[in-house]
Amino acid sequence: MSKELTFKNLPPAVCVPWEVKAKELGEIKGDAALIKKEWENLDLMGYLYIWNWVQR
Amino acid sequence: MAEKTSLFEERKKRYQAAMNLEKPDRVPIRLNFSGEFITKVAGYTFQETYYDWQKNNDATRKMLEKISDLEMVIGGANLWWAALHDAVGAKYLRFAGRDLDAETMFQYVEEPYMLPEDYDDFIENPTEWIATTYLPRIHTELAEPGSYRATAGLIKGAFGLAQQLGSGAEAMASYQRDFGVVPTITGISKAPFDTLADTLRGLSGIMLDLYQRPEKVKKALEVLVPHNIFYGMATAQGDTDFPVFMPLHRGAYPFMKMEQWVEFYWPSLKQVVEGLWSNGKRTMFYAENIWTPYLEKIAELPEKSIIFHVDQTDMEKAHQVLGGRFCLSGNVPNSLLAFGKPEEVKEYVKRLLDKYARDGGFILDAGAVILDDAKEENIRALIEAGLEYGVY
Repeated sequence: MSKELTFKNLPPAVCVPWEVKAKELGEIKGDAALIKKEWENLDLMGYLYIWNWVQR
Repeated sequence: MAEKTSLFEERKKRYQAAMNLEKPDRVPIRLNFSGEFITKVAGYTFQETYYDWQKNNDATRKMLEKISDLEMVIGGANLWWAALHDAVGAKYLRFAGRDLDAETMFQYVEEPYMLPEDYDDFIENPTEWIATTYLPRIHTELAEPGSYRATAGLIKGAFGLAQQLGSGAEAMASYQRDFGVVPTITGISKAPFDTLADTLRGLSGIMLDLYQRPEKVKKALEVLVPHNIFYGMATAQGDTDFPVFMPLHRGAYPFMKMEQWVEFYWPSLKQVVEGLWSNGKRTMFYAENIWTPYLEKIAELPEKSIIFHVDQTDMEKAHQVLGGRFCLSGNVPNSLLAFGKPEEVKEYVKRLLDKYARDGGFILDAGAVILDDAKEENIRALIEAGLEYGVY
C-alpha cells in the first residue's frame, strides 16, 4: 500500500459518492434530488477524465 | 443538405444491415485511417495536426473533399492532442516537432508505470489510485500533488480534454452534415487485460505478473470489468446505433500460451463484450495481428454482439468458425496498400468479396489501421473495387 485510500470499492462513474457529500452538507433546504443529480453529473465527468489517461 | 442527409441514412442502413448479418445493397466500406495518413492526404505536417487541433479536424474534412467516396470516418485526424499532453507533462508520449522531427509518427514510451506493489490499492479503488498515484507518476507537471504546478496542470488538463472533445464532436457533426459520412464507431473500451497490460504494467510487467502474482492479475481484471463496460457506454454517450471500438492488443497470438489466454485474457474480455451487449451495444472486436487459435472461444459470444475484424487471422478459418454468427470485416493487407499496385489491390478486394462477402454480414476494410505509408492511389483502388465488386 503506497498511501491510505479515501474510499474502497467505488463503482464506475463515481469519484466521491453522493452519500458522503450529502452527509457533509447536512440539512438541504431545497430540492435535494436536483443537487444530487448535478453532483453526480460532474462526478461522472471527473471519473471519465481520470480514466481517460488509462483507457488508451 | 437534404441530399447529404439522405446519403447519411443510406450509408447507416447499409452499415447496420451488414452488422446484423443481412445483405445490404452492397458491402459497406469502412476504412480505419490513422491520423498520420489523414494528415498526409490533407497536406499538413504531423506536428501541425498533433498540435493545432483546428488543423487536426480540418485534415479529415480535406480528406473527405479529396476522396469523395468515403462513407465512414472516426472523427478528426488524431486521437491525441500533443498540447494537452504538454500541459500535464506526459512522460510516455513523444511527438513530432517536439522530441521528434516534424514528420515522424508519435512514439509511445512503454514502461511498467504501475508497480507490482500497486496492485492492492488498484484492486481496492482503481479510480482513486489512478488519480492519486498514477497520474502524478506519469506526468511531470503533476509530480508534486498540491503544488502550484500540479494544480495548474490538472486544471489545464481537464479544460484541454473538454475543449478537445467539444471541438471533436462539432467536427464530426459537420462531416456528417457536409459529406453524409457515418461514424465508424461511437465510444471506446478495452479488454481488461489490455487496460492492465498496455498503459499500466506494460508488456514486460504483465508477463512477469502472469508467473509471479497471477491471483492479483485475476483480481485486477475482475475489478476492471464493470469499469470497462461503463467506459464504453459513457464514451459512446449511450449510443447503440454504432459499435464501440475495442482495439485488442496483448491477446493476439502468440503473446500468450493458449492456456494463459484462456485463463487470463478471455474471461474478463467476454464479460465486457457481454455486458456491453446487454446494454444493446455491439463491439467492434478489432483483432489486430493473429487470432486464429482463439476463434472457437470467440464463437461463444452472443450472436451479432461483435464485428470480428480480421487483420492477419486466417480469413478462411474465421469465415468457417464465425461467419453467419458475427459480421466479419477486413482484411486487405496493409503491406499491399503500402507497397502494392492499384491493380493488385483491386484483384485482392475482388477475391476477398467473391469468397467471403457473398452471404452478407461483411464489411470491407484494411487489415489494420492505415498508416501514412499507404499510397493514396491504393486507397482509391480499394474503394473502387468495393463499389464495383461489392454489389449484391
